[in-house]
Amino acid sequence: VNERDAWIALASTPGVGDHTFARLLAVHGSASLALSATARLRASHADRALAGWTGIRLRHGLARAIRQAADDPTRVQRAVAALGGWTLTPLDAAYPRLLAVIEEPPPVLYGLGDPAAITEGLLVAVVGTRRPTAMARDLATRIGQRAAEADITVVSGLALGIDGAAHRAAIDGGGRTVGVVGSGLDVPGPAGNRRLADRITRHGAIVSELAPGVHATKGTFPRRNRIISGLARATIVVEAPARSGALITARHALEQGRTVLVAPGRPFDPRISGNLALLREAPVRPLIGLDEMLADLELEPVDDVPAPPLAREAALRSLEPTQRRVAAALASGPATIDALCRATELDAGVVSAALTMLQLRGWASTYGPTLLPAGPLTRMDK
Amino acid sequence: MLAILDTAVVHGLQGELVRVEVDIANGLPSCSIVGLPDAALSEARERVRSAIRNSGFDYPLSRITVNLAPADRRKHGAAYDVAIAIGILLANEQIRASGGPWALLGELSLDGSVRPVPGVLPMVATLRDAGHRRICVPGANVAEASLVEDLEIVGVEGLDDVARHIAGPHGRKAAAARRRRAIRIARGAEPDASDRLTPGDATELADLRGQEQARWALEVAIAGRHNLLLVGSPGAGKTMLARAAPRLQPPLSEAEAREVAVIRSVCGLVTSASDQLSRPFRSPHHTTSYAAMVGGGPRLRPGLVTQAHHGVLFLDELAEFSRHVLDALRQPLEDGSVEIVRAHGSVTYPAELQLIAAMNPCRCGWDGDPERACRCPTSEPERYRRRVSGPLLDRIDLRVVMPRLSADEIVSLRRPERSETVERRIHEAWTRSMQRNDGVPNARLRGQQLLEHCALERATRMRLQELAQGLELTARGVHRLLRVARTIADLAGAGVVADAHLAAAAALNDRSFEREATA
Repeated sequence: VNERDAWIALASTPGVGDHTFARLLAVHGSASLALSATARLRASHADRALAGWTGIRLRHGLARAIRQAADDPTRVQRAVAALGGWTLTPLDAAYPRLLAVIEEPPPVLYGLGDPAAITEGLLVAVVGTRRPTAMARDLATRIGQRAAEADITVVSGLALGIDGAAHRAAIDGGGRTVGVVGSGLDVPGPAGNRRLADRITRHGAIVSELAPGVHATKGTFPRRNRIISGLARATIVVEAPARSGALITARHALEQGRTVLVAPGRPFDPRISGNLALLREAPVRPLIGLDEMLADLELEPVDDVPAPPLAREAALRSLEPTQRRVAAALASGPATIDALCRATELDAGVVSAALTMLQLRGWASTYGPTLLPAGPLTRMDK
Repeated sequence: MLAILDTAVVHGLQGELVRVEVDIANGLPSCSIVGLPDAALSEARERVRSAIRNSGFDYPLSRITVNLAPADRRKHGAAYDVAIAIGILLANEQIRASGGPWALLGELSLDGSVRPVPGVLPMVATLRDAGHRRICVPGANVAEASLVEDLEIVGVEGLDDVARHIAGPHGRKAAAARRRRAIRIARGAEPDASDRLTPGDATELADLRGQEQARWALEVAIAGRHNLLLVGSPGAGKTMLARAAPRLQPPLSEAEAREVAVIRSVCGLVTSASDQLSRPFRSPHHTTSYAAMVGGGPRLRPGLVTQAHHGVLFLDELAEFSRHVLDALRQPLEDGSVEIVRAHGSVTYPAELQLIAAMNPCRCGWDGDPERACRCPTSEPERYRRRVSGPLLDRIDLRVVMPRLSADEIVSLRRPERSETVERRIHEAWTRSMQRNDGVPNARLRGQQLLEHCALERATRMRLQELAQGLELTARGVHRLLRVARTIADLAGAGVVADAHLAAAAALNDRSFEREATA
């Protein structure tokens, strides 16, 4: 058996986790040897022998599962191909180098979309809560957009909230993005993000360490987070309350020796207490602006990449007068319709009509009762 | 000897003639009432006996039989007391009737005074249709009964009063002096505040700071009778805003006022003459039962949806109402009426109501609040919002999220428009739309009517298409947009719906009830 096929067959066997896989590899020297050794075991003793090899507690049926995998080593790869996906293992030259050097790199990466998205270019993780404030969502959008302009690939977890906003902004900005999911590639994620998932496969990649058909369990998401930080040179924590999954990602990033940027927030605010704790206790850098962010990522600021000021002015001039007034008010950050009414001193009906048109043109988006600047507006200086 | 009098019963919102026949014969003293009386009616015996005695008459010690015809129709309530008592006095020849047959309505107190009864308006109308030209009603019901034309309404305060009227100028003078007035119960006790159709303590809009969008939404809602949903954190001002509605509503037309008066009458809600043209405003608690909402119960009483006919039904804490009750709103919201079918027949109550609803964005109330964190689990807010079913939501034209203001914002904001100003705009828009739509509110425009009254110019049609695509509107959503835009145009005094009206209408349909997908 071809070692790569054996490798994928063994790693994707249900019941063989990263630990079991690593132990079997260490004991037998290679995946194909581990497969053939397991196949030679007498059925009555096989599970016990495996427990002996791996030093992991006895699990009944494990030997049989491995033997089935050995009988048809390319089954999982065919399933991936049927989804239109691909696999990457540390045996492959294309396996991302940053990921290969972390502790417990995933033995197999299953992917949809463009594999170059995780192997080429600069990747930066953008993470945060699934239920962000409007401000944080706006920040995630601006980060995603600036990343796209600076040719940075945004890595995130394809969850609702910050993840989704960062992915979307990267795509909308014409950039690449990578979604690392905590279940098999064919297992649908959050319903609100299905269309986003489609878009990501067209503008980047969706990857998982879990074989197709594997459902997410309690442990898969925290483990998935080590891949998010592992793929990226730096991780940006946008908004995280205490005990957020984003903090786990940040911790992984620190353990992997990567840069961590954390958006500061107001003291005492529980919705951002995770960020504050990181800033106080961990060797992280505060994120204070998009240009500073690029500097921290050791890149030249790209403030001339977005529409040059003249074009921006021209874009604003293309709007009708009331729309222009509302757009100018919105450019300074998220606001409610009521706040915009006060800022522009226009009637609610007039402001509403202007906002509808701005939304249609992609200059604004809604988040609950709050309007967020979008498109050209996010590139305007605050 | 036999006495015959007429009275009436209410079935649904219609009165039906009931003939009271009293016969007094020799035999052991007794009084039996036949003709399917209910408990309250059977107890009429006791009330009638005491009332007769305490009014200075003698209660005959004979065998009394009271028949209520038609015999197969179930009768309920106490509106026959007066007729029964007078029937006994006539049959006993203590008084003599001049002319007749007489039509009488009213409940008796033990002291002989006449108490008001619900449903006088439809009952009087029925009696008139049956040929009566003079009808005795309780004094407290006179105003209501007078809404029926071509009639002489005689308001009576006590049994002796009735006897005097029946007897005419030549009859026996009732011994009024002997009547005990000691325990007169205040007649027509004022309905308590929660039961009032139009609360006097309506919010003055000028007292509500900020909330520019929500105020405007309310204005649009009332001007076109669109259903409105307000979503917001506790303290955002949802209830306060909704309570401004009663003052803003345009007055009832004469025909509408008549319908509303009948419903008020049947529900026993006494209203002053000044309330006659004001639209009802009902705000039931969220523990309201199914029967109370749609109507029904053993005696088929109109429900809240009917009590809010031509007015506003305000449901605060919408998501806390039982699902059952909310889904029952679908038929009235769609058809403007509610049909209640029971084993012994069916009744259709009118229910052209305008729904104004308020709810929190999630169970804890703070989802989306700029200041406070929501404590609900991640999927909870969406689950909470989904308690309001899609079909119900579909029938709500306007949905607005109200952000809560911080304390310093409230203090710093300038004083906004007064109710009076808004009211004037609404009334103008209302008059305009009523003339154009042949009396149909914009919210009720459907199909051909909608296309006719919301006809768009070519360029505007393009804009509508753009909006429909950009916002991914369904056919139903496009119609909703058109209706709301029509009202916005009416408020602006525009004859034709323009681009700006469409765009403004789109902003009144908050989409946070849909999934996050399209952000």
